[in-house]
Amino acid sequence: MLPRRPWGRRIGVALACVLMGHAIPAFAVRVDPAGLDAAQVAATQTLVDDVLARLPRAWRGGLPRDLVLAWRTDLPHDVQGRRHGRRLWLDRDLLDDPDASAARKALVHELAHAYDRAHRNVLSGDARLRDLAGWQRSVFRVAGRRSRNDFTARSPDRYELTRPSEFVAVNLEHYVLDPTYACRRPALHRHFAMHFGEPAVDAACAPGLPFLEADAARGDAALLAMDPARVYEVDYLLAEGNTQAMSRWGHSMLRLVVCAPGRPPGPDCRLDLAHHRVVSFRAFVGDVQISGWRGLTGSYPSRLFLLPLDQVIEEYTKVELRGLQSIPLRLRQDEIASLLERAAQLHWSYDGSYYFISNNCAVETWKLLHDGVPRLAEAPLASITPTGLLEKLAREGIADRSVLDDADQARRLGHYFEPASARYDALFAVAREALALPQRDVQAWLSLAPGERARWMPDADLKASAALLVLETAALRRQQLLLRDELKRRYLGRDVPEDAALAVQALKAWLGDTSFVSRPAELAQEGYGLPQSVERTRIAAEAQARVARLRSQDASLRRDLERWLPEDQREALRGIEANVETIGARLRALAAAGAS
Amino acid sequence: MSRLILAGVLLALSVPALAGSFAGSSAGASSAGSSASSDSSSGDDKIVLQAREDAASFVASHGRIRGAQLEAALRHLRETDEAARRASDMQLAQAILAR
Repeated sequence: MLPRRPWGRRIGVALACVLMGHAIPAFAVRVDPAGLDAAQVAATQTLVDDVLARLPRAWRGGLPRDLVLAWRTDLPHDVQGRRHGRRLWLDRDLLDDPDASAARKALVHELAHAYDRAHRNVLSGDARLRDLAGWQRSVFRVAGRRSRNDFTARSPDRYELTRPSEFVAVNLEHYVLDPTYACRRPALHRHFAMHFGEPAVDAACAPGLPFLEADAARGDAALLAMDPARVYEVDYLLAEGNTQAMSRWGHSMLRLVVCAPGRPPGPDCRLDLAHHRVVSFRAFVGDVQISGWRGLTGSYPSRLFLLPLDQVIEEYTKVELRGLQSIPLRLRQDEIASLLERAAQLHWSYDGSYYFISNNCAVETWKLLHDGVPRLAEAPLASITPTGLLEKLAREGIADRSVLDDADQARRLGHYFEPASARYDALFAVAREALALPQRDVQAWLSLAPGERARWMPDADLKASAALLVLETAALRRQQLLLRDELKRRYLGRDVPEDAALAVQALKAWLGDTSFVSRPAELAQEGYGLPQSVERTRIAAEAQARVARLRSQDASLRRDLERWLPEDQREALRGIEANVETIGARLRALAAAGAS
Repeated sequence: MSRLILAGVLLALSVPALAGSFAGSSAGASSAGSSASSDSSSGDDKIVLQAREDAASFVASHGRIRGAQLEAALRHLRETDEAARRASDMQLAQAILAR
């Protein structure tokens, strides 16, 4: 790949070095002494020697043979270095800077360009590099790569986003000069190390992959350090579609089968549900004005969330009444590790835009698999729908759908979480038989006023009480949904009544304040890439502070808005809550009696 | 179990309902700061709490409906409690309901 040089030129350079009295190898960078005094020439030479000694051998040896370094005073204000053919120019101010680090950085940057160009963009033109850097493939093959790089958060230098060659030069600065680079951008570090034939370093990184986890059940956001070695499997998690227009296609996620502390990774981890996590791309909406049009035009940010599996089960199967299919992916342990590392990188740096068709959850999940596991990048998996992606994963032998063959076993082992509504008829039949209920079906039962249902509860036996508990909980969720829709319809649309305007304003501000959950980079101003120890301490503290603030406002917001909901609906909610309490107490009494 | 209902109503509700119908789910995007229904529960309690509806379905259906959250809780109880190892699935499911 190295361009051939005439022998005469090579000898000339070697001769020049000998004449200048420096024992510099033939590939060295020559210093242009014009306009410099002896001390300045020596300082420049020291800089060159210092930088060359730091470069990987393959890089040093792969530089063009006749580079000449000169200082310039006429570079544009924000430019520290420039390269033109064989000539490298650095900003003259850097020469006088007692701290040599800026000059060093600038020189590494230009030498990176020189190397990359001399080898026909061997680094910046590489497909894997572009995947890692964030010039992602389009889901439509003919469209090639997207011209935009959305990895805008926690960048060491936004200049890297201008084009792949600058990305390479900026990142090689850090690869060479920053000992934390291997911790902050581990995949890129490995990529460069492999290219230059350098051994992988064992950097002392902060342990685990950091994720800010949003836990709705606990009303909390905590910083996790995920250890990939504790992840036994990764499942493709598909939320089945329903009749709602926007969720007709379903939703695709990844489930991380994390083993409980102390349990060796293996099939037993599959039932450690409380420790499992879900990686889900969602359109974060800190704004209550939702419109389909904005979804089509990419006005919503698409971001990666890490959620507890239990919360996801609750949301989909119990609130939205949609089934969840959890299909294991055949991945090696090292592939799981690189996939999670990629997810963490996205979590801290990616701020994409959500498009219904070209960049929805299925496309994001496909890109995560594509960029996180090189083997999967080879497979034809690109798909714009969640079910389509699953089809292709199965066809390629990556997803194993046979886990669904035995329906009972699939439910028991957590490969299928059925919608809660699938159980309602059977449970109502139990209660109807035990109590001789006159209602014909579960719908009729649930449409009774809560007080009507309460009348039957004192007579229910254990089985009937258990059935009524599930149905009453369903009624509770349904009533909450109703209030939510009421709130949305009456106050979050265009015609906000004037007297509610203040409360609605407060709600909108409050929603905006929750955005850090989806963009954790907001929590740490310093550092780049994956946060290391010092930043993590700060991030955890800042997240706690923000959660506390949200919680304290939450109560007053609730009081303010509650007043605007219809009294009969609020009354119904209170009635259902009382019923849930009543059945709970009855179950405790019956179980205690049964146990004695 | 203290519940901040409207927190539930708003959080589980407003944003997510909107975001949800849109992005595929109904809660979560801005779930930090939402209702605290199980603040004080330890990890152990949480596993059992999550299994409550599965356990109720199991008891009501005489063992016919068996969900994964119940399976997880049964195994957890047996791993951590000597007495639970001698109890039947039905007895444990009832014990979960009795909490």
